[in-house]
Amino acid sequence: MYRKNRMGLFFLLPGVIWILAFTIFPLLYSLALSFTDRQLARPTSGQFIGFENYSKVFQGIASSVIDTRSEQGQAFFGAGASAVDVRVGETIPTTIFLTLGSTLLTLLLGTGIAWLFNHDFAGLRIFRSVMTMPLFAAPVALGFMGLILFNEQSGIINTVIKAVTGGQWVPWFSQPWPARTAVLLLDTWQWTPFVFVVVLAAMQSIPTELYEAARLDTRNSWQLFSRITLPLILPALGTIGMLRLVETFKILDIPLSMLGGGPGSATQTYSYYAYQVGLKNFQMGYGSALGYVLVIVCIIISTLYFRRMRSRYDQPKQG
Amino acid sequence: MAATKQVHLDTPAPSRSTAKDWQARVGRALLWLGVIIAVVWTLFPFIWAVRTSFMTQVEALSPVFIPWVQFTPTLANWDAELNLGGRETFLALRNSVIIAVGATVVACTIGTLTGYALGRFQYKIGNSNIISWVMSQRFMPPIATLIPIFIVIQTLKLLDTHVGMIIVNTTFVIPFAILIMRDFFADFPDEIEEAAVVDGASPWQVFWRVALPLATPALTAAAIICFAFAWNEFLFASVLATREAKPYTYLVASTSTARGVHFPYLATRMMIAITLPVILSLFVQRYIVRGLTFGAVKG
Repeated sequence: MYRKNRMGLFFLLPGVIWILAFTIFPLLYSLALSFTDRQLARPTSGQFIGFENYSKVFQGIASSVIDTRSEQGQAFFGAGASAVDVRVGETIPTTIFLTLGSTLLTLLLGTGIAWLFNHDFAGLRIFRSVMTMPLFAAPVALGFMGLILFNEQSGIINTVIKAVTGGQWVPWFSQPWPARTAVLLLDTWQWTPFVFVVVLAAMQSIPTELYEAARLDTRNSWQLFSRITLPLILPALGTIGMLRLVETFKILDIPLSMLGGGPGSATQTYSYYAYQVGLKNFQMGYGSALGYVLVIVCIIISTLYFRRMRSRYDQPKQG
Repeated sequence: MAATKQVHLDTPAPSRSTAKDWQARVGRALLWLGVIIAVVWTLFPFIWAVRTSFMTQVEALSPVFIPWVQFTPTLANWDAELNLGGRETFLALRNSVIIAVGATVVACTIGTLTGYALGRFQYKIGNSNIISWVMSQRFMPPIATLIPIFIVIQTLKLLDTHVGMIIVNTTFVIPFAILIMRDFFADFPDEIEEAAVVDGASPWQVFWRVALPLATPALTAAAIICFAFAWNEFLFASVLATREAKPYTYLVASTSTARGVHFPYLATRMMIAITLPVILSLFVQRYIVRGLTFGAVKG
């Protein structure tokens, strides 16, 4: 129904006002803050300092590749090499590992499980409901789940590993890469169901006739999957791939409640560090700049997503 | 999710040889094995947490799991959390309920109006542009809005209050409400409303008397999803509500996890934090796909 009516504005306005006030305005405010040296404890702060915060962020990010103490680093960073915020750099490997790792693992596992569930068998609905339960568990509480499952001495995971390998165990909490892997596995466990339900929905919208026709040529399940199912679910996979990327950039709850970012700063993600700078140390200008760099990354990814959505939403009526 | 849409990969084909028959059976068995592994992988951490919450610390440290045979279940941990440590837990849970319900009510009220607007009316500015703004909330890293929101809430003197937390959580969950309701109204046939218009009903009457009653299932789903996400919110609570209005997620995160972690205690707190939203999620299965992908994938 194409209705053009004054009432339309009445229905729309509350939502638009809310979003302007609490989403768009904070985003703009944050952009403004990121060009200042605002700190909570200092009333005189808040001076415009141009791109100083941003250059600090980018230098910090660069320090993940170039050691500030090396000769190269001295040349690259110049006199300010010792002042570079290397803690930003330290979060980069963790963030990339978690973001790419979790996105890829959830896509792979979710698609695999969806393929399994896309067969005709009893109890599908119940199993499907059970499978989505992790999505609704508070990530903060999942950190505790991690503490229990991955505990180095007596966690069930190490108990099993010891039984299988004859006494060897994994230092999940005391070594950087095992700790990151534990966080990755928890996040993967929580979000695989999301990929699973979405991909399953996409698979179930493929017309059965296509399979019937193809089955005249082959009964090989892999061929049916790779030639028919996969190409047809690819758009859905692309969409959730983007969503997952954007979501995992935000990982913070699980590493925070499980290991407090430790050991050292091994599980401290970029978001986590920005949070500490902005709201634990109250360096609001610098914290905003850290946040805004992430905003730019998310805008790039979500632009692709929105482009896909656009055609669908331009018509009030869609199929 | 109609059963007719299921793909019959292995059942129908009329087999000529027993070898093929056998192959199909093995395939079927492998399929079941895969499904069982997937379900166990999903359920195991929950089961393990439940088990741990009914144990003593010593038992929790050993790899036993069969109740009454390998260990005697104890209610001590639940008792300690709900009765002894009661006051703090009770207040935090009460805060969580107030905040989550408040945010759900506000988000669903505004979300239904805006969803109806976007599903039924055409705007000059472009409906898809408005929806992009709505969705930008879910795409933007919360870190970027946390600092300005902290300053705004502080300026409004709403730090550590339920109202402040309800505003913040509404902002997070409102995209779910708007987009679920928009989808519902956009798919909903026009004829019924047109009949009401012919009968002389005003736009508000059409919405309130005709469209809204029919939208109850979608609204329920939107409410449950909003409630679950508001209940699980931690990041903003950890900054904006650390004393009086502290929700349960913040209490959980501030549990001391220094050396000598008490497993059963952690497990109990974890179970209390996750049970309600996880159970509620079982009632919104039809809406999960659309709700969480903002309609990008139809489910």
